[in-house]
Amino acid sequence: MLSCGGFSYEKIIVENLKYKYPDTDQLALNDVSFEVEEGEVIGIVGQNSAGKSSLCLALTGLIPHFFNGAYGGKVLIDGIEVKTSTITDLSQKAGLVFDNPFTQMTASKYTVYDEIAFGLENIGVSREEMIERVDWSLKMMGIENIKDKNPFDLSGGQMQRVAIASVIAMRPEILVLDEPTSQLDPQASEEVFRVIQQLSQEGITIVIAEHKMEKLASFTDRILLLYEGKQIDFDTPQKVFSRDDLHDYGVVPPIFTTYCKAMGMKNKKTNTYPVTLAEVSSLLGGENNEWNKS
Amino acid sequence: MTLYVKQDSLIHEIDPITKVIYAFVAALLPYILPSHTVALIVLVISIMLLVVGKVFRKIIPLIGLSLFLIVSLVIIQGIFRPDNVTPLFHFGPIIFYKEGLSYGLLLMLRVINLLCAFGVLILTTKPDDLIQSFIQKGMSPRIGYVIGSVLQLIPQMSATIATIKDAQRSRGLETEGSLLVRIKAFLPLIGPVIMNSLISTRERSIALEVRGFNAKQKKTFLHEVHTYKYAKVIQAVLILIFIFAILWRIFL
Amino acid sequence: MNGIKVENISFSYTEGQPVLSNIDVHFRQESTAIIGQNGAGKTTFVKLLKGLLKPATGNIYVNGMNTQEYTVAQLAKQIGLVFQNPNDQIFKHTVIEEVMFGPKNIGQSTEEARQNSLLALEKIGIVHEADKNPYDLSLSDRKLVSIASILAMKPPIIIFDEPTMGQDYLGKERLKKIMKDLRAEGVLVLSIIHDMDFVAETFERTIVMNQGKIVLDGPTREVFSHEQLIRDVYLELPHATQLGKQLGLKQTFLTVDELINFNRKKQ
Repeated sequence: MLSCGGFSYEKIIVENLKYKYPDTDQLALNDVSFEVEEGEVIGIVGQNSAGKSSLCLALTGLIPHFFNGAYGGKVLIDGIEVKTSTITDLSQKAGLVFDNPFTQMTASKYTVYDEIAFGLENIGVSREEMIERVDWSLKMMGIENIKDKNPFDLSGGQMQRVAIASVIAMRPEILVLDEPTSQLDPQASEEVFRVIQQLSQEGITIVIAEHKMEKLASFTDRILLLYEGKQIDFDTPQKVFSRDDLHDYGVVPPIFTTYCKAMGMKNKKTNTYPVTLAEVSSLLGGENNEWNKS
Repeated sequence: MTLYVKQDSLIHEIDPITKVIYAFVAALLPYILPSHTVALIVLVISIMLLVVGKVFRKIIPLIGLSLFLIVSLVIIQGIFRPDNVTPLFHFGPIIFYKEGLSYGLLLMLRVINLLCAFGVLILTTKPDDLIQSFIQKGMSPRIGYVIGSVLQLIPQMSATIATIKDAQRSRGLETEGSLLVRIKAFLPLIGPVIMNSLISTRERSIALEVRGFNAKQKKTFLHEVHTYKYAKVIQAVLILIFIFAILWRIFL
Repeated sequence: MNGIKVENISFSYTEGQPVLSNIDVHFRQESTAIIGQNGAGKTTFVKLLKGLLKPATGNIYVNGMNTQEYTVAQLAKQIGLVFQNPNDQIFKHTVIEEVMFGPKNIGQSTEEARQNSLLALEKIGIVHEADKNPYDLSLSDRKLVSIASILAMKPPIIIFDEPTMGQDYLGKERLKKIMKDLRAEGVLVLSIIHDMDFVAETFERTIVMNQGKIVLDGPTREVFSHEQLIRDVYLELPHATQLGKQLGLKQTFLTVDELINFNRKKQ
């Protein structure tokens, strides 16, 4: 543990986190412990009801401040303990984006620009800074061209980027995304993944729950594998997706890994299988290496 | 779901609170001073403001909608008002009286006047500006949010209702036809509507929470307070007129 | 005449902005995926097939019945549509009651409806949830309830709208099996779908829509051999197809198993 006297060098520290929703008898999160360093991109995988969403809610303080229930263990976000903090204070440390673009629109604003400013008005940011932050968010998400449109007139993909813009305008150092592309078409998903990677390049720490393994493999640093609320593994995508028992946890590796496993194409140095198209081709000898840089 | 018309006009520049005061004073004056002349003068002023605000044409359909009410007021008063004594004209056996028609006319002026006075406010003021002004005057931001979001969520909800109707018709539910058919269709339609709005409300409140909706800090605003140079003067004049009208009514 | 015959239809919500134009297509037995960007007109198209909308010009025959001449409820025996969001239909207090609603509407007796509903739930793998309140289930399980509620009506044609949305690996595997079983029973299965891997693994025929028109229509393998066209309409190739190309293979591969078998034989 790197923490000493409440001060820590890790962006996120989760220690023996347990959580049970009210009126249920199963633990949604059962003894989860991991640490995330600044600037890392973490993927959360697992079957439905493995605890992915609950973990996202716990990192942003919705658990235990919005959802009651039994809570044990500790979550530190940038040195602040979630349990004793508030959702408002945490929202400036760790932002949350979820799957449904519609319900993330406040419905009280008539333009994208005003929508993004909503959170900043609530936390009392000065006008000048507000404008600066909204402009920055619009630019990061590549949505300057729709800033005067009504949020409800947008496509799902655009709306989801507005949702992300609204959250990053709060200037969190961590962004938590719960299946942000599950309701989008391939092109819109691609756009959302692209902006997430861009935010990562800006130094924002990213935690993302997703079913699209091929996408996760291509841009995450580490993968957290959950099963029935328990933490099964927390390691590089290569290590996690090379596990032989992955199937037991209701998860399949990227197609590329499945192929290489079947063909016995292992990276001798790391003793793992490739997880992206680019890794497959570099293992094959490096021709066409520029193919999957995205 | 908003009647606001974006225009560049003197009336649009006036701050929302001044326009709210105007709407109330103008709507109430013809009741405080029940004369045709007062009603007519106020109405003419409201219409002038609508013209200056470049929104006069938008008020016509609104008046049109209430025309049925207006016409029936005049007719009923013209025929049945208890203090009717002076017959003016008749259609067959139905006699119209001067007193009733006169009073009906006053009612008509009041209704149109009310529409025009609030028209000046609603057609030339952005709803969120109006809500923001109230919040700055001390209204709870939560109530402000509820008012603001209802305006946008109603059209969203009608889209959801259309989908639900399609989904149930797809399962063989007849939704058109006799009263009995419609009554039987009510539960399968209203059930999902309620559950759907509960679910979206819950999700939306999470989205609001993570954007500081519960912040204890004092709220700031993206848009500058809509100030108008002559706001205080106009407000004072309106309130003086209002007080004067009440005094006039009581003492004269 | 079984199947759906679409004869040169056009449709628009507001005049002058056609959502669909000159669509002419015949669905016989092959399971068919309808793919395309959002706004390509897919949902409008299936609403027309289902009779929820009527074409402005042209005719649609569902098992020989012209959709113009029948109400949606009358067509419900012939063609079922599973909506995207299960919350748009669920209103009963138990899963079994919810599933029985459709069958009873189209004239099945209560006993018959119960039998068919239990069978459908069994098929979908959630028969143990039959007496639960649907809203106590997760969204992905509620989605399965909404699928069962159409299966129990036993229509010879079933359309799915984004069935894989929010489903995990096991959920998708289950869906794949349901669709293949339906196909084997002779049910015509159509689906709007964004998940290209699922399309490649499941459907015999694929239709690509773009801006209200069908731009590609054929066996799934052939459709995914048109790489450039697929990219032009902002879609992606299935991952197995991408891998096959990367491995320098000429053929179009649809699943990772095909690739593995092909290369094993070669070795």
